[in-house]
Amino acid sequence: MVASLRRRAGAAVAGVLLGLLAVGCSGSGAAGTFTPRTRGTLTVATAQIPDPGFWYGSAKHPTGGFEYGLARALAARFGLARVKVIVVPFARLVAGELEGADLALSDITVTAARARHVSFSSAYLAAPPSILVRPGTQVADVHAAQELRWAVQRGTTLQEALADTIHPARAPLVFAHQHEALRALRSGRASAVMLDLPVALAYARESPASYAVAAQLPSEDVLAAALPHGSENLEAVDSAIRAFSEDGTIERLGRRWLHTSLHEGAAEQVPALRVEE
Amino acid sequence: MTTLGHASIGSILEISSPNGAPWEFLVIFATVLLGPVVIERARIPGIIGLLLGGYVIGPHGLNAIGAGNTTLPDLGQLGLLYLMFVAGVELDLNLLRAHRRSAIIFGLLTFALPMLFGTIVGLSLGWEVLAAILLGSLLASHTLITYPTVRDAGLASDPAVATVVGSTVLTDTLTLVVLAAVAGSVGGGRSTLDIAFQLVVGLAVLIGFSLLVLPRLAAWAFRLFGAERSVRYVVAITAFLAAATVAELFGIEGIVGAFFAGLALNRLIPNEGQLMDRIGFFGGAVFIPVFLVSVGLILNPAVIAKWQTLAFAGLFILACLGGKLLAAGLAARLLGFSRPQAGLLFSLSAAQAAATLAATVVGFQIGLFSSAVVNAVLLLIFVSVLASTLAAERASARLGAQEHGPGALGARVVVGVGDPELAPGALAIAVRIARADGGVVQPVLVQAPSSTSAPRVARERLTRAAAIAGVDGSVSTSIDRSLLHGALQAGIASEATLVLVAQPGDPSAAERDAAAALCAQVNARTPPLASVRGSATRLGVVRLLASDSADDPHSLAAEMSRRVARGPVDRLENGDRDRREQPAPRDVTFASWDESLPAAALQVSGILVCALSEADADTNLSASRRASARPRFADRAVDARAPR
Repeated sequence: MVASLRRRAGAAVAGVLLGLLAVGCSGSGAAGTFTPRTRGTLTVATAQIPDPGFWYGSAKHPTGGFEYGLARALAARFGLARVKVIVVPFARLVAGELEGADLALSDITVTAARARHVSFSSAYLAAPPSILVRPGTQVADVHAAQELRWAVQRGTTLQEALADTIHPARAPLVFAHQHEALRALRSGRASAVMLDLPVALAYARESPASYAVAAQLPSEDVLAAALPHGSENLEAVDSAIRAFSEDGTIERLGRRWLHTSLHEGAAEQVPALRVEE
Repeated sequence: MTTLGHASIGSILEISSPNGAPWEFLVIFATVLLGPVVIERARIPGIIGLLLGGYVIGPHGLNAIGAGNTTLPDLGQLGLLYLMFVAGVELDLNLLRAHRRSAIIFGLLTFALPMLFGTIVGLSLGWEVLAAILLGSLLASHTLITYPTVRDAGLASDPAVATVVGSTVLTDTLTLVVLAAVAGSVGGGRSTLDIAFQLVVGLAVLIGFSLLVLPRLAAWAFRLFGAERSVRYVVAITAFLAAATVAELFGIEGIVGAFFAGLALNRLIPNEGQLMDRIGFFGGAVFIPVFLVSVGLILNPAVIAKWQTLAFAGLFILACLGGKLLAAGLAARLLGFSRPQAGLLFSLSAAQAAATLAATVVGFQIGLFSSAVVNAVLLLIFVSVLASTLAAERASARLGAQEHGPGALGARVVVGVGDPELAPGALAIAVRIARADGGVVQPVLVQAPSSTSAPRVARERLTRAAAIAGVDGSVSTSIDRSLLHGALQAGIASEATLVLVAQPGDPSAAERDAAAALCAQVNARTPPLASVRGSATRLGVVRLLASDSADDPHSLAAEMSRRVARGPVDRLENGDRDRREQPAPRDVTFASWDESLPAAALQVSGILVCALSEADADTNLSASRRASARPRFADRAVDARAPR
């Protein structure tokens, strides 16, 4: 009798516990839950528009690009009707100042230092540093690279890669914006620019008379979406990007806007820079 | 001077921070080495140490393996496929066959109840249907983590244990079929009908490939390259990767293909064989630990500490362990098991590891589960392993050790060979008998002390013959004046369940006398003995020579013939020798050596297998017969193979 009562009491406690837990967690999606800052709208921050391959059009009227396509796919998954784009300087984005955006999509490389200010999603693109030159410039190895006149954007992982891996013979030209570094290359002030490989490939494809990708550096750098630090939306964005990698969405966007298969395309054809003797 | 020395050394040496492939491999293997060692000191299972080790080296820990690293995830993917292949290949299909009814009843209950509870939990949380179903299915599988505890307690042959081990085939298969359906339905925007059609066709092709094509290809490869041990291993790896690839061609997760490949090769890779030993060794030392470490990368204390993750874990634990407990209780009532046996059912089926982890990782990869769900499942695994370990120890203590029954007839077949030229027939027969029981064949070269031929040459010829026959074992040598005696001694030494002796011709009167003398020595430690006369690499029609002894359906000759025939056996009456149905050279005739049988009766053509040790009442044959009214070798299968 006592044992039976005890069993029933145990079952009742387990039932109540189960109910409480279920009520406490209801609405917590298996893949995370996304709550936009503006109802029905995904607000995305980026550093520059247009950005060949990644963003086309203007902030008010974006017309395409890899990261714009990714933003639209995210909005569709979260059931949001609209994508709003705002432009925020890169340095502020990686400092965690998203100016009210839900997330930033701006060729942002994942680093431990940046992860102190923003929360990174799963990676959506491999992005080793690469060397963009004028057509005809050969960069056989790191010694040849050291003799080039370098241009690079300030405060990026590319600046660190240039200093750590190449050790240029002359001090590089450092610019606040990417387009300034590219202008220096076109004008002949610089003979090479360090860029993320997908970005460099997009420039070379759009302006083959002006640019060519000479080499890529060995690296595990990846691009990811940046969210405000500690954002509750991270799980949902994370799961969404994994799903897009798995169901071919990322591959389709890459083929359409970066004109390359991310698995077997141009990225693999760009030679790796020889950095050892 | 010293300062100058340091300065000059400092200016010469360029020491960079560790990076590159050697550093990554060092970090991974150091974790594989130290993770279990450290955690087992706290009496916590090593699997938890590997998961925690993955966290320590991963992006949420020391970041030695960064977020963009592809080496460890790729290796982990291979480890995941390997894990599911091993799960399939080591399952004991004999137990499923021997305890079919109880295994199916318990398998369905222990799958259906946690599946139902898990799905209800998912739906009540507001999850989409696919995620809820996947959650239910991953709670429904189980891993036999506590089997060694139960086996060491002497309970391996308990019907409750056999029931759970047999049911594992069912639960794992159902879990993976649900996973295939769920993963196939995610994304793509196709209609339910299209998805169902693709899944049905994909599973049909996969099962056809795995169960029909793969075993034949593997058997052919083993025959062709069998002498090369490393090649046999690579054949097994290639087989499961091929099945995984076929699965992925149809949008089915590769782990489903790897699991089916394991089931398909189950008979070709006996648990006690050298190939299984090698598969277990590399799996246990490298591939599976690396997979577990790669899962640990997802482990994130910041996520675990969240109320949501802890609540998920609490719900999963209640749904899983509650379902498993209810299934064990219901099955015990339905099948007439005692309370401690119900405890065994629960303890063996409650632990979540392999299939649960595999399904969870796939759910994470396809974006159906967040890292909160994965971390909650890791907590569930931790709790379920601890709970099942405690329950196993308690149930084992209450039941006490039980007597081990003798092994199945084909569990370990020793083939004694004097002349390697005569080996193929005996080896082919031994392979069929062993394969029927999931056992191994061990060829033994018996040479007389006065033999003039070089043992090395004879051993090489026998090794070649064994490889062609598909034997997974190395050749040993025994020096003895008598072939029969030498083979029997080797059989006793290796705890064989059957000894076959390849003899040059009809057993002579002197040899039969010797056999009779040996049979007179037969005792509980002596395996059944049979002589094989005649040889052929491929076997023809199988017959059983009628006699008083062989007419007993449980006689050694009858048991051997059923296994070799793989079905009904033709009877050869005494008078048939003079008729047209005289056996062809490749045909096999089984006979029982019987005092009442005239010597002329054994003068059949083709291959003759003569059971020599039927008479003594103390053989393990008759011991088994006394133990049960059911066919004795089926009963012995209970203890024949132990899941690792």
